[in-house]
Amino acid sequence: MNNRIKEFRARYNFTQEDLAKKVNVRRETIVFLEKNKYNPSLKLAYDIARVFEAKIEDIFYFD
Amino acid sequence: MKKTVVLFIIAALVLITTGLWIFSGHSEIKPAELISLGVIALVVVFALFVGYKRLTSVKKGEPAEDEMSKKVMHKTSSMSYYISLYWWLAIMYFSDKLKFETHTIIGAGILGMAVIFAVCWFVYNFRGERNE
Repeated sequence: MNNRIKEFRARYNFTQEDLAKKVNVRRETIVFLEKNKYNPSLKLAYDIARVFEAKIEDIFYFD
Repeated sequence: MKKTVVLFIIAALVLITTGLWIFSGHSEIKPAELISLGVIALVVVFALFVGYKRLTSVKKGEPAEDEMSKKVMHKTSSMSYYISLYWWLAIMYFSDKLKFETHTIIGAGILGMAVIFAVCWFVYNFRGERNE
């Protein structure tokens, strides 16, 4: 599963730390998500989508 | 936060116990004991590293543990348990071939398990955890 977190983060001008605080995870988790080294839980995916005011499928997608 | 404090207390207890072991009734340290001391030092450094990481996360306003760290710990626990079974099997096999004292064998087993856990944690923590 891939994602567009980095793209959305740049659009909203958030740092990894900002996003981590907003979704209540550690910055490392955001780093791993952006590198596609970690697949989030449904809750985390939903929280990230809510922060970016987008649908989950707009951010997370399968190749 | 409570878990982090417990981690530091355990590391301190290990250090105190090791100090007691070294300074009570030992005139000189044997080479085999030096290896044990090295492994104990590695385990303590690992515990301090994990504790420090958790503390810095809390200071930044992030949670000490999140879903990824919990998943990494879960995966580490299961894999290190699995590898430890083989470790004890190897120890049992070699204890028949070589003549070691019982406390040396048990010490090697316990320290080996600690090292296996630390190695698994580093592998999963830096490789990431995908659900594939």
